[in-house]
Amino acid sequence: MPNLLVCYKWTLDERDIKINPNDLSLDSSRAKGKISDFDRMAIEEATQIVEKQGGAVDALSYGTPTVKQSLKDVLSRGPNKAYYIGDASAEHADANVIAKVLAGAVRKLGKYDVILLGEGSSDSFNQQTGARLAALLDLPVVTFVQEMTIEGDTVKATRKLADCTEAVTVKTPAVVQVLSTINKPRIPSMKQVLGASKKPNQELKIADLGLKAEDLVPKSTRKSVKGFVMSRKNVIYKESNAADNVAKLVASLAKEGLR
Amino acid sequence: MSYAFTEEQLLIKQNALEFAKEYLDPIAMELDHSAKFPAEIVKKMVAQDLLGLFLPGEYGGAEAGFVAFIEVIEALSGSSASVAAILLNHAIAAYAIEHWGTKEQKDNYLPALVKGEKLGALAIYENGPMLGVGPDTLVAEKKPEGYVLNGVKAFVRNAGVAGVYVVLATTDPTSNGKTLTAFLVDAKASGLKVGAAKESMGLRGCPMADLTFENVIVPESAVLGAVDGGLALATDTLAVFSLGEAAETVGIGQAAVEHAAAYSKTRVQFGKPISTLQAIQTLLAEVATDAHVARLALYDAAGLFEEGKPFQTEAAMVKAFLARFGSKMLLDTVQIEGGFGYSEFMPLPRLFRDIAGTTLLEAPAEYPDKTIAAALLA
Amino acid sequence: MSLITPEQKAIQQQAKEFVAKHVIPFASQYDKSTEFHTYLLEAAKESKVFSMSIPKEYGGLGYDLITQALVLEEWGYGCGGMGTTLAVTMLPINSILLAGTPAQKKLFFDPLVEGGLASFCLTEPGAGSDAGAGKTTAVKVGDEYVLNGTKCFITNGAYASRYAVYASTDPSKGAKGLSGFIVEKGTPGLTVGTVDHKLGISSSNTVELLFKDVHIPASNLLGKEGDGMKLALMTLDRARPAIAALAVGIAQRALDECVKHLHTKFPGKMQPGQTLQFKLADMKTEIDAARQLLHHTMSLIESGIVSIESAECKTFAADIAMKITTQAVQLLGAYGYTSEVSKCMRDAKIMQIYEGTNQIQRLVISRAVLAPASAATAQKAGK
Repeated sequence: MPNLLVCYKWTLDERDIKINPNDLSLDSSRAKGKISDFDRMAIEEATQIVEKQGGAVDALSYGTPTVKQSLKDVLSRGPNKAYYIGDASAEHADANVIAKVLAGAVRKLGKYDVILLGEGSSDSFNQQTGARLAALLDLPVVTFVQEMTIEGDTVKATRKLADCTEAVTVKTPAVVQVLSTINKPRIPSMKQVLGASKKPNQELKIADLGLKAEDLVPKSTRKSVKGFVMSRKNVIYKESNAADNVAKLVASLAKEGLR
Repeated sequence: MSYAFTEEQLLIKQNALEFAKEYLDPIAMELDHSAKFPAEIVKKMVAQDLLGLFLPGEYGGAEAGFVAFIEVIEALSGSSASVAAILLNHAIAAYAIEHWGTKEQKDNYLPALVKGEKLGALAIYENGPMLGVGPDTLVAEKKPEGYVLNGVKAFVRNAGVAGVYVVLATTDPTSNGKTLTAFLVDAKASGLKVGAAKESMGLRGCPMADLTFENVIVPESAVLGAVDGGLALATDTLAVFSLGEAAETVGIGQAAVEHAAAYSKTRVQFGKPISTLQAIQTLLAEVATDAHVARLALYDAAGLFEEGKPFQTEAAMVKAFLARFGSKMLLDTVQIEGGFGYSEFMPLPRLFRDIAGTTLLEAPAEYPDKTIAAALLA
Repeated sequence: MSLITPEQKAIQQQAKEFVAKHVIPFASQYDKSTEFHTYLLEAAKESKVFSMSIPKEYGGLGYDLITQALVLEEWGYGCGGMGTTLAVTMLPINSILLAGTPAQKKLFFDPLVEGGLASFCLTEPGAGSDAGAGKTTAVKVGDEYVLNGTKCFITNGAYASRYAVYASTDPSKGAKGLSGFIVEKGTPGLTVGTVDHKLGISSSNTVELLFKDVHIPASNLLGKEGDGMKLALMTLDRARPAIAALAVGIAQRALDECVKHLHTKFPGKMQPGQTLQFKLADMKTEIDAARQLLHHTMSLIESGIVSIESAECKTFAADIAMKITTQAVQLLGAYGYTSEVSKCMRDAKIMQIYEGTNQIQRLVISRAVLAPASAATAQKAGK
């Protein structure tokens, strides 16, 4: 009956962000919020484990005050209770600050067997939060996890590395970072959505987390975020016969390793 | 006034769009070709609680409210209006039972309808000029054992896959359609025959056929609502149904304009994408505007209905608006895509055919203009 | 229709009978199966209708343009798809009449007089409205041209005996480098590619045509090198009214189906309300207006004036056909959605698109309206 915590990030939905073609600046004015993609898998994984084995899943997020918009969304996906820290400091927080805040919250909330997070967030994809959190809490961390089970006090995980997989066991309590391939999150049913408002949520204040002032000062600052425009090769096949053009394209793609 | 969706309604819409993208997009074209009832998809909709979306919790419904239901229909229609039509026809039949039924009728049917163990269907139309007037009008004769039904109901959606039909019959053929009564008829009733599948221009994944009644006996307890109260039931049910149809229309139109807009950016003629041409921009703008305006009016009417307020005039206005501008959304977007928009290898032809079916006007009663005018002239 | 002569009326009647016997009973079946209506070619062969625009001296029926419009309207009435087969066979005939030598005319017309079909090959995947952007090439080698390229949306492509193909003899000149050619069926290197399945005119054959080293005699060049774009546009100007005729036929059919259905609904006593009555009145008026504009255009062309009326009549007829068929389906409700009327709506749509989209037609018309000569006329009239 594992006691699980999922840390998730409330990010902007990148599909709503428009890139200004002139200076590559971003227009996020119409962007809605969403639970960071890989965190969705972490929530799903925790929920599935608890559905099979019993236990409970809590959710925790640190963000600006807009993080409150995430509560019904996350609670519709399985967790029993959602904790949130909605603070302006999140606006410029780097992974160092985020991890410190989350660690402060975890220390306050109590013992969890496993803390799950996505391998990286949809927006910055630093892949640091889980590892830093584990270090601050003096816990082991397993990253790049594409499969996991919890048996008693042991987590068995398969890590997906560049060209091989690695089987790992670790004793709880532990931190796990999951890949998007670990599962396919189910779409919450209508009843799950409507049931979310009946589940508890609780705000945690940063002042109550036992942090020092310098803990909230980011060690790295983001100078700018610009849109990425894929540079195209602009190769034009000019044979008069379409079939010849296709043959040339296929040959060129094969040369680049596309099978 | 702007329609403010609740957090739940926004999540429901988001989830419905995801469902549509994941499960409907991959099968929509094939479903249209094969016209084979998508039983697996219906099962998935049951798992999402879509079949009892706005029905009360005591029957297993999600109690999400009618507005959420409209959102779902709109979202699904952008991917497969056929699937949306199956759900819509089922849900409105369930609504009729929930709204007009006795406790016994609700206990008998609603739990199964919510779980998808039975699908619902509306058998309202006939081949004659109006309901209760025609060569094979459905007549219900009062007998000691209950009522005996003889005749034909035409163009029944979900025919053959439904477990229960909400059927409109006349108890007095000489009354020229004035005495209509609604009945709940079980699909397994002896003497009830489902005719050959009717091929329609679009919405082809939603079954349609005539129902023939040959001495079908139903008990008195099968009367839905009041005896001779059938017209009121049909009017009310169709008004609610029309909101669902409007949601289908808006969903289809929105999908079409997004597809045409994306196409116009990639289609280069005369050295530039056609999206740079004013004529194309105007077509896109008109379609997008019409969809937007219709959507606002739709959610306004749906909200009124959900709140139990009078909504019939507003619903008629949505129907009237889309009768004028609904098909235009696909006439214009197919036009933007030109020869490619006419090819069934692309999605717009199917949307063109579907939207012609969600903006039909012939009603057993009258055109929406009559309702609207009546409200003004009262 | 008071200006139709008795002779024209007789031919119209003949066409009505032919369509009633050979087109209408089979239209729905072929529309559903999307199979090409090869059976029709046998029946049409006997009547020689596919050669109605070919001069008598070449064995054709040599009908005047109004007569052609009357016949085409009957075919549109019967089936937009079968009507397209006829109308588009007539399309390249115009190219040959405009630019063909007597020998070329014989080459192109002989099989058509025997009942064969023809195709007009201008469109390519990258050259739709921008017809001049075609990339198919025709390279002169000795006393031959060698054609390479891909054409798409080619009506009758898999069944044509003769093709009028527009290819570039000088890619550096863009549209001005196009030339027109006659290509015979069965020429090695000419293959039929994908068959397009369409929203409407489903039984009309629409295919990709692939040209891979297709050798044709140099004598198959129509006119001079570089004349192609001009020839294609002149051809379309003369052929476009045929589409208007199909559209008028489709619209008339939709209206007739509406009225037929209403008589069934209200046997003996028509009881449609004013809304319906007014819509029917508008339909009738629009059809008559489209028909008259078409006949006026044909009269002009017959007298040698080929101008923007060609664009006007096709645009107007196609637009009213689309409007009328859409309304007809809507008004007949579920019945309309499951019957012939829905086919009319699907068939009508292509009329607004092919042989020059209605958007292109509007550009042509507005240019003429805004041209300086028009301004001078307006000034003279004291406006």
